[in-house]
Amino acid sequence: MMHRHSGLKTALGIFFTAIMLFPVYWMVNISFTAKGSIRSGDVIPMDFTLDNYARVLDIQLPNLATSIVLALCCVILTLVIALPSAYALSLLRVRGSRVISFLLIVAQMIPAVVITLGFYEIYNKVGLLDTIPGLVLADSTIAVPFAVMLLTSFMESIPKSLLEAAEVDGATRLRRFTSIVIPLSRNSIVTVSLFAFLWAWSDFLFASTLDGGGSRRPITLGLYAYIGAQTQEWGPMMATAVLSSIPATILLVFAQRYVAAGVTAGAVKD
Amino acid sequence: MRRIKTAMVKTMALSCVCAMAVGVSACGSSSQEASKDDKTIQFWDDWTRHTNGSEFDKLVKSCAPEGYTIKRQAIATSDLLNNLTTAVKEDNGPDVAVIDNPMIPSAVDAALVAGGDETGLKSTGYDTNLEAPGIVNKVTYGVPLGGSNTLGLIYNPKIVGEAGVDVSSIKDWDSLNKAIEAVVASGHKGIAFSGISGEEGVFQFLPWFWGAKGNLKHTDSQARTDAENLLSGWIQKGWAPKSATTDTQSAAWDLFLAGDYGFVEIGTWMQAEADKANAKMIPIPAKDGGVAPVPTGGEFAMVATHKKNAKEHYDKAVKVISCLSQPEKLLKVNNALSNLSAKKSVRDRQVKENAGLAQWEASIEKAQGRTSDLGLKYEETSASLSESLLAALNKQ
Amino acid sequence: MKRKASEMTAVSTQPDGRRGMLDRLNGQMAAIGFVLPLIIYLLIFYAAPLLQNMSMSLHRYTRRTFVTGDAPFVGLDIYREVIGSSEFWPVVLQTLIFVVVSLIFQYAIGLALAVFFNDNFKLSGLLRGIMLIPWLLPLIVSGTTWQWMMNPDSGILNKFLGLFGINPIWWLQADHSLWAVIIANIWLGIPFNLVILYSGLQNISADLYEAAALDGCNAWNRFWNITFPLLRPVTSITLLLGFVYTLKVVDVIWVMSMGTGSSKTLATWAYSMAFGKGTSATIKYSQAAVLGSILILVALIFGFIYLRVQKAQEEN
Repeated sequence: MMHRHSGLKTALGIFFTAIMLFPVYWMVNISFTAKGSIRSGDVIPMDFTLDNYARVLDIQLPNLATSIVLALCCVILTLVIALPSAYALSLLRVRGSRVISFLLIVAQMIPAVVITLGFYEIYNKVGLLDTIPGLVLADSTIAVPFAVMLLTSFMESIPKSLLEAAEVDGATRLRRFTSIVIPLSRNSIVTVSLFAFLWAWSDFLFASTLDGGGSRRPITLGLYAYIGAQTQEWGPMMATAVLSSIPATILLVFAQRYVAAGVTAGAVKD
Repeated sequence: MRRIKTAMVKTMALSCVCAMAVGVSACGSSSQEASKDDKTIQFWDDWTRHTNGSEFDKLVKSCAPEGYTIKRQAIATSDLLNNLTTAVKEDNGPDVAVIDNPMIPSAVDAALVAGGDETGLKSTGYDTNLEAPGIVNKVTYGVPLGGSNTLGLIYNPKIVGEAGVDVSSIKDWDSLNKAIEAVVASGHKGIAFSGISGEEGVFQFLPWFWGAKGNLKHTDSQARTDAENLLSGWIQKGWAPKSATTDTQSAAWDLFLAGDYGFVEIGTWMQAEADKANAKMIPIPAKDGGVAPVPTGGEFAMVATHKKNAKEHYDKAVKVISCLSQPEKLLKVNNALSNLSAKKSVRDRQVKENAGLAQWEASIEKAQGRTSDLGLKYEETSASLSESLLAALNKQ
Repeated sequence: MKRKASEMTAVSTQPDGRRGMLDRLNGQMAAIGFVLPLIIYLLIFYAAPLLQNMSMSLHRYTRRTFVTGDAPFVGLDIYREVIGSSEFWPVVLQTLIFVVVSLIFQYAIGLALAVFFNDNFKLSGLLRGIMLIPWLLPLIVSGTTWQWMMNPDSGILNKFLGLFGINPIWWLQADHSLWAVIIANIWLGIPFNLVILYSGLQNISADLYEAAALDGCNAWNRFWNITFPLLRPVTSITLLLGFVYTLKVVDVIWVMSMGTGSSKTLATWAYSMAFGKGTSATIKYSQAAVLGSILILVALIFGFIYLRVQKAQEEN
């Protein structure tokens, strides 16, 4: 039954994807258009140029590398903090888990400007200003509350029978965590990682306030260099955006493959 | 399962590496911190277009006093003052801060920058009207290092010619309207301008407001209504794009470059591109004839406030600013930013070499500072002008 | 790590009498051990900003007093000013419309796509991956792109509508700019919903569907009888998080309209005051902090509702 409609579904899928990606196409379009024509509204780059790419390539590649390191470190930090705590909140019945859930919701609503101001003060004292680790820490604050909440919610659906069986076999909490809970949470771990990566990737506020003078700057700061007080250079900016989405897209598509069906079901059969 | 376990191990290993990297670079940076004060001069400006290693960047760095290096940081205009606020609060500000002129009263009020009475900064040789924004209560806080710019009407001679319009006939608002109407009637588009929310839109609005004899001290006036009606009339008649309500000046310029607009209200800084597009400039007409007063634009080099080792910081800053103010350097700085110099002697040389810039000389010499009359109150006035302008432009 | 684990096992195999209590105590200790990094993290990174936000909303801060640090304490005055201002309630209403409409469409479209991609067809994996690209774009880029597409004179959207004889729409006109930014925001939020919901779908056992198919259930019935109920926990967390994030949205609105006209929400209002951007360049930390507190309160209420829903689900 699945196969009968496969071709049709693929066609539909391509259609949906095309609609979703139209603004992306527009960005690519502008990145190949010469400055004089970017506001002409042509659907294909009539005034074709590669200048934009030539201009940004050298300048932006180091920034791109910085962003990737930054985002990956942020993913790891987020998981290291969120995984054990989500386990405790969902499966170990830790006391005060409701309070923590509440705090997590509040944490996500604290205005970014207040957080940045606070961070600047602390970073200035401990010497973390203009450093990558400082920025990793700051960026992780966007993802950690989210990661804990999402992972908790997913871990709650892990069959309790599995854990009880392991407990009877003498597995400790740590062992149950590493050999049952983590493997079974694969889908949600990938999902959380994706978000952590993307938020760190797209952050501008923290980067601008906490790493403005750093020798290594993320790509978002590089992008904003094209928006001056009186001139905005959309061509180079769009070219930078296209360049920066290539490595990230590869990572995304790759990571998405790891979201797989039947993780739980398969484990039960083992 | 095993595959996942190895993945776990890898993740752990990677996180250790990361943690180490975090530790190492944290140490590295704190040791840098110690040496930062001694031999480095921090220079903040909002010329983000001029990246590290650009000609302008080298120019700034060439002004480091013997034994010092200049670390330049370019920050978007809208963020610079906020970053400066945060930094000065923690006594971690730069030495030199280059600030856009409408923000100066605010910077002075919050004591983010130190006055010449403390730092020894002097403003010499600059035109009185152009240096005015940098002088607050008779104390020199900054000098118009970046040069000055102002607004004019740039037109596309080909389109205007096709419409049979002679630009020399544009003397007042009526004749301007007739010219735009003729351009539209000939199948082209009329005029692009920026009516965006905030200071940028107000900057573009002021020539019309002042041209109708408006006064910033009494904005609730017929002049404001007249100027608003002029601009919103253009949109309603389809002469100006509806997107003017969200277009920045740069966007208005891009629309003009796309080729079909007869006119655009834009500033000196686009002159180089205008030359490339063979476009010409006329001054903005006043309502009842004559040339409308235009606002000065441009950044001022200022000395940021310090608590610890203030004297040392101020000396460094003043040395750099003085070096950049020397005629030879100033000429290069102003040319790099494609602004007209705020010093007459330097400007004369620019004008001789560059016919495009020469068109702006008369306007610049008569231009008015936005904050000269109102000081800190300008922020509020500008906000209320912006509010009312937006309401007018959004009329359908 | 290994050794620690064996110690724990040792403790839990104590003689029977004390075992129950000790084990429970030990369980709590272990659980706290797991959650401790998070608690420390929350304390370091959020406690101070939270208190600072409170303090800022109770003192009258200007740019100057922020630097000098001698802002006068004014109690609830600023709360009264902000809530009493003529703008407050209209902005609350706009925020509500923005959040609710965005949320409904993001979720519905996200779910439909997740179900669609749940069947493995040719290229499904690749297409699903590509669908996430909109997220990789810096918001300044995607916001600007939307602004251009919605250009009233030459935008592609109006050109498209023109094919059907529809008059050009002035999308970002002040009276209805809210709807324009909602459209862009829905677009932005679809990948978020798609990813979480898809990952939730993957955790539903295929056996259930097979059984239902044997019972002769059609696709529509399978969705309503199996997928939707089993997805409920994921749905509630997606909606809660979606709610919180939509409430905070600033960038896309800012890039498109600078939060002018009806597109002004509590979040963009707070942003413009905290940074002195937008119509007024005057910085208003305190007023922004008041709006911050209000947003925190709203999120808390929804968090409370979420916990109630969750509890009800557990009891079922």
